[in-house]
Amino acid sequence: MTTSAAPLNPATGAPALAPERPVQWPHREVATLANGLQVVLAESHAFPKIAAQLYFRAGNAAVAHRSPGLASMTATVVRTGTASRSNHKIEEDLRRMGADLGTSAGADSTSISVSGLSESYKGLLELIADLARNASFPEGEFERERRQRIEETRIERTTPGFLAGERMRHTLFGQHPYAIVAPTEEQVAAYERSQLVEYYQRHYSPPDAVLIVVGDFVTSEMFARVEQIFGDWRVPQPKASQSPAPPVQTGRHVHLVHLPGSVQTQVVVGNLAITRRAPDWHPTVLANAIYGGAFHSRLVMNIREQKGYTYSPRSSVTAMRQQGYFTVSAAVRNDVAAATLTEIFYEMDRIRSLPVTPDELEGARNYLTGVFSLGVATLDGLIGQLSTVYLDRLPEGYLETYRERIQSLTADDVMTAARKHFESAISQIVLVGDREQIGDQAALFGAVTNYDAQGNVVKA
Amino acid sequence: VKQFRIPVEHTTLGNGLRVVVSPDRSAPVVTVGVYYQIGFRLEPHGRSGFAHLFEHMMFQGSENAGKMEHIRLINASGGLLNGTTNYDITNYFESVPSNAVERVLWLEADRMRALKVDDENLRNQRDVVKEEVRVNVMNQPYGGFPWLDLPPVAFRNWPNAHNFYGDFVDLDAATLADVQHFFHTYYAPNNAVLLMVGDVEPAKALELARRYFEDIPKHPLPPRADVTEVPQTAERRGEVEEKFGPLPAIAIGYTLPKRGTEELNVAAIADQVLHGGRAGRVHRRLVLEKQIAVEADGSAEIFDTNGPTQMVSRIFHTPEFTSEVAIAAFDEVIAELHEKPVSVEELDAVKVKFRSDYYSMLEGGMGSYMPRFGLMHYLACFTLFDGDPDRINTALEGFLKVTPEAVQAYARKYLVPQNRAIVLRRPAVPGGAR
Repeated sequence: MTTSAAPLNPATGAPALAPERPVQWPHREVATLANGLQVVLAESHAFPKIAAQLYFRAGNAAVAHRSPGLASMTATVVRTGTASRSNHKIEEDLRRMGADLGTSAGADSTSISVSGLSESYKGLLELIADLARNASFPEGEFERERRQRIEETRIERTTPGFLAGERMRHTLFGQHPYAIVAPTEEQVAAYERSQLVEYYQRHYSPPDAVLIVVGDFVTSEMFARVEQIFGDWRVPQPKASQSPAPPVQTGRHVHLVHLPGSVQTQVVVGNLAITRRAPDWHPTVLANAIYGGAFHSRLVMNIREQKGYTYSPRSSVTAMRQQGYFTVSAAVRNDVAAATLTEIFYEMDRIRSLPVTPDELEGARNYLTGVFSLGVATLDGLIGQLSTVYLDRLPEGYLETYRERIQSLTADDVMTAARKHFESAISQIVLVGDREQIGDQAALFGAVTNYDAQGNVVKA
Repeated sequence: VKQFRIPVEHTTLGNGLRVVVSPDRSAPVVTVGVYYQIGFRLEPHGRSGFAHLFEHMMFQGSENAGKMEHIRLINASGGLLNGTTNYDITNYFESVPSNAVERVLWLEADRMRALKVDDENLRNQRDVVKEEVRVNVMNQPYGGFPWLDLPPVAFRNWPNAHNFYGDFVDLDAATLADVQHFFHTYYAPNNAVLLMVGDVEPAKALELARRYFEDIPKHPLPPRADVTEVPQTAERRGEVEEKFGPLPAIAIGYTLPKRGTEELNVAAIADQVLHGGRAGRVHRRLVLEKQIAVEADGSAEIFDTNGPTQMVSRIFHTPEFTSEVAIAAFDEVIAELHEKPVSVEELDAVKVKFRSDYYSMLEGGMGSYMPRFGLMHYLACFTLFDGDPDRINTALEGFLKVTPEAVQAYARKYLVPQNRAIVLRRPAVPGGAR
């Protein structure tokens, strides 16, 4: 930067942007141990902390057909005991190292993650390895966690956002395992400890895993320590399972989940889209930023800043490993549920049929590249970006070239992507709210199927 | 233990605006904030929720950046922005690539200088805020629990005890004149601090601060309102109906020592003994050992408040147990703190975790996309409330020297029924649909 006044933007008087300082990529080392474990290390010395995450490329989708949510339950109980540590001891050890631990599973992956003081890095790695290799699944802890999960399941079924997301995934994915986002109470009650142990023995496997460590360490020392702690861990690679294809949608359909007494309607509109490996992933992300993925996007300006229907409208493109999807969501007051849907479809059709303006295009490209730079400037953000690359086996250099690829996109690219992936004519509509208040509005947009909060189809 | 120091430079401009800069060139991004020393505690009587509604109005247009322009310019610079309203502060902040820092300062100065909003903007944001309250409170299981439930039970002085999100009748009553009056009363450079954290060179940052902010006139501030509470003499209790959720929930709040006292440092450590995650005594006893609760945790907001505040415990318990049984189990944990000093081993572990959490907060603190938000936030609080941004490097010492005896003495004095309030969230359908 210079000390002279920046040139003014003639439209507003706002200073123009100075030349950008390029992102400095942290030193990164990637290696695969003899047992198949991939190791990714990236130094970042701003704070005396490290974050480490061990990922396995299997999650709830791998077992959805026989026991929904089993990978999540396994991850929950994994942290409650090992051959040499009780639950109590694990929590005490974490505190002594200034550490937080998280264990969880999504549809496509499972993770054990810790963040703590860099001075304790050896103990943190040993703890991750102990949980990944020697978990003992104590009977009492399993029973307790299962009872807790049942109570959580009941709370989920009173939460509008959860119900809307669950119904949309069911609708879009049909028989595909991604249809199921959470187990029912009965499914949780049927879990057996032996199922967790079996899942653990099969899927917590080094050839199917990535260990990412970021933070304040010296790479050579860290690598030597990782090899020492994880090198002799041998479990064969699990067989990948085949999934049935999601259904083909032929038109708009409305799915109304009745939540009596709701003072608001949770609206979600969605369709199947693409994975991050698709050649038009980046144009789709850019189209989404202009449509409803940023604060200054068309949808937010329309239904929030002009019409005041909602506080937090948003659209997103979600990439899962086998199949992605596009959703638009807004929690709106009951009397504008139909008006909101009209605007959602209006904006979808507009971006499908008219080119975005040069200003919008430039602004959205800058938005994505800027937010990307912000997202690699924290340890959590960096580990998240690295995990995307290595879990999905994206090309090496994916992160380094992301900004250039976004900056090269055109208005044509945006329209082509929107036409292909914002499919207004076959969008599925989910409404969660009080049927007495919104039933008539729902019927304006297509045939309506009614559900209760448990997911059962009911008569209106 | 690694020595670790945050670089901080600060100054006060001629108009009273404090400016704090903390350079960190590790990434080409910067987080900028303007913090005003006004929060929902001091919003006008009959205008509950006004401070927050007003915060929304600060995004509706200023002298040279009309409605949507502020948001557009930040997003199109590659940045994210937000604002939050708290008890004693309201903040506006942006994380941007560092080439946009001058543009951000121009925008923040423009809205510190003059708010340019109309009735249509006010109507629009009133609608938006109502949907915010519905999505976060009225249409959500356990919405507003316990941050909206406890204050009216715990406190007697209106600034501490009212509905901070706002009754809809009060939001409806708010006028454009109220908006301008609030702006002219509290949004003065001499009631604020400007912060720049990240990829900036301090001398240059201070020069830019002068260029954009120094000609904004200072103005007299109202005398500091009296937010003290009359001494409490007995436990206070309240109940709120839970419309959606199936489980009974309990909030227990103990009023904390005053800011700036040694006792508050002890309170922060005691909070970690009780609520430090799954190793904390409350979770261990109620969730893991007695298995009365499905979830039990708690926290004490010691850094970013400057008035009556509570350490709050939250307990969600199964309907098989009564709330009284759950409270009795909690009281056993408290009684143990009265009876026996914490072991040196436990206290040492708590302190290690406290130090680690402090660094994590400084490093992130507001999700992955707001680098150093927490550093900015703490610098702002240390500046506005304590007049000393350098506390960022010394604050830890006060916590790390707390002794077992001090924790016991604190428990005996503060963790007592006549210093606490309890609110029960009772499900309308106990146990939910089973």
